[in-house]
Amino acid sequence: MIITAHGLKKTFTTRSRKGTQTVEAVRDIDLSVETGEIFGVLGPNGAGKTTTIRMLSTLITPTGGSATVAGRDLARDPRAIRERIGYVSQAGGVDELNSPRANLMLAARVNGIAKADAAGRVEETLTAFELTEFADRPARTLSGGQKRRVAIALGLVHRPPLLFLDEPTTGLDPQNRANLWDQIRLLRSAGTSVLLSTHYLDEADALCDRLAIVDHGVIVAEGTPAALKREVASDVVTLRLTPADTGRPADAPDLEEVRKLLEAQTYAREARVDGDRLLVYLDDGEHALPHLLRALAERALVIQSIALDRATLDDVFLHKTGRFLRDAA
Amino acid sequence: MLRHTALFLGYELRNTVRNPVWPLFGILQPVLYMLLFAPLLAKTTPGVPQAETLKQFTPGVMVMIALFGSLFVGFGMISEIRGGVLERLAVSPASRPAIVLGRTLRDVIVLVAQALLIAALGLLMGMRPNPPGLALMILLMALTGVFASSLSYGLALALRDENGMSQIMQLFALPLILLTGILLPMSLAPGWMRAVANFNPLYHTVEAGRALFNGDLGNGSIPLAFGLMLVLAVITLRWSVSSMRRLAG
Ligand SMILES: Nc1ncnc2c1ncn2[C@@H]1O[C@H](COP(=O)(O)OP(=O)(O)O)[C@@H](O)[C@H]1O
Ligand SMILES: [Mg+2]
Repeated sequence: MIITAHGLKKTFTTRSRKGTQTVEAVRDIDLSVETGEIFGVLGPNGAGKTTTIRMLSTLITPTGGSATVAGRDLARDPRAIRERIGYVSQAGGVDELNSPRANLMLAARVNGIAKADAAGRVEETLTAFELTEFADRPARTLSGGQKRRVAIALGLVHRPPLLFLDEPTTGLDPQNRANLWDQIRLLRSAGTSVLLSTHYLDEADALCDRLAIVDHGVIVAEGTPAALKREVASDVVTLRLTPADTGRPADAPDLEEVRKLLEAQTYAREARVDGDRLLVYLDDGEHALPHLLRALAERALVIQSIALDRATLDDVFLHKTGRFLRDAA
Repeated sequence: MLRHTALFLGYELRNTVRNPVWPLFGILQPVLYMLLFAPLLAKTTPGVPQAETLKQFTPGVMVMIALFGSLFVGFGMISEIRGGVLERLAVSPASRPAIVLGRTLRDVIVLVAQALLIAALGLLMGMRPNPPGLALMILLMALTGVFASSLSYGLALALRDENGMSQIMQLFALPLILLTGILLPMSLAPGWMRAVANFNPLYHTVEAGRALFNGDLGNGSIPLAFGLMLVLAVITLRWSVSSMRRLAG
């Protein structure tokens, strides 16, 4: 285990004209990250992802709970932890006025790499992140994707065994995101443990070995992406319905009635109303679909549209929190 | 801490040398003052040679550079906070005081370079200050610079907001200039103003500068100015270092 955390809490107190307010950013988080894995913290904006990462990387002191990070106690030995981790904030922390090489050089030296070794190490890091071409240009002239790579290189130049990445691909185009995923996978194969936060479902699914889904400062689900999805169902049928011979779309009472009907079927795990749609979770979509169609026909319901998809992490989020992550603010 | 201070200082200095636009731009205004205002001042005091006027005038210009060159360094730090640079340093084993000290030292070095430039200009224009006095004045300027730039860093770390910062500066800038006698000697001011100016440490700095340039090394304003600036520099430096510790843990 490279990280174990128990009951982490962080309460912020903000003073304004309306008096003091407290925000429970993180309420109770237990985490364990295996050495050498990519662990994801998935959740909507404001869920407490950044606060969790800032606590684990020694930036802010937890209000409660305890943690061991890279073999050291978070409360007792934050200095030792700092020597063993890399941290890349969402803002990136690149000095835009200076070149990637100068940025990396300072980061290497500050992290204790001897002067004689620093230049070589910086060169290696630049090569690994395909930055040699722009190494001596001011960082402000780099593209978003290039700047992101500099930011991550800055967190890695001292080769820490554990790297924290806060929303590493937010704001990047699909091409750059895919490249960055590959780079993060390379880190894993080199033995680096990675804890990253994201609000992208596909990123959590494709990149992470295991993940914790957080909402309102607590973990609502944890496991491998496959196991999490399996827990909800393997497939989901999305329906838009019209009651026969009315022509109008189904309204809420109609949908609720159908929902109850379908949820009672043996092949259905769960059924949910989402706006004007009905979602039915199934273990074996291909075989269950004919039964489902028959049940609807018996009720004289006309199907406007129907789709059969594999369940996603968003369905897991819905199952656990009652709303979709993509809608959660 | 010393090693890290040297690292940060080296980094910042290389940055400044590679991109000296801002320090050069910053010195432009004082240079213009010297070139344009000094002759004007000489005209209003007929009979006094320009070299004498310059001796009165240059110490004020130097204090002005020390103050206004350094007071704005905090804006750079706010953008470093926003860009996550300080956060990244806070997660590293970097010495906390060194982050501030390296930057403050860079500011002081830039300041001394600017002061030498102004002194050279004054010499070219015929000013003949007392040499040990000039050297001491540059030292006094460096102290003023430490005070102003750590005040600026302290404000930046406390406010973390450009708007708030420029409002505070505007609030203080004008009264400070007027009550310092940077441009005109306070002896021209009404009595009440002179009385208020006595509570302005920068007034004493300028007075000390004039005494130093005149070779009046025994003047009481000199130890007073050094003492005041030393105390202020130590207080603001400690403040900015402890603010950095608070930010960085
Ligand atoms: N320094 C702070 N002071 C007050 N509230 C904060 C602070 N940092 C975060 N919060 C609040 O804590 C909650 C969680 O924030 P954050 O951890 O940044 O979420 P995420 O990274 O998942 O978007 C939010 O409601 C946010 O407004
Ligand atoms: Mg965040």
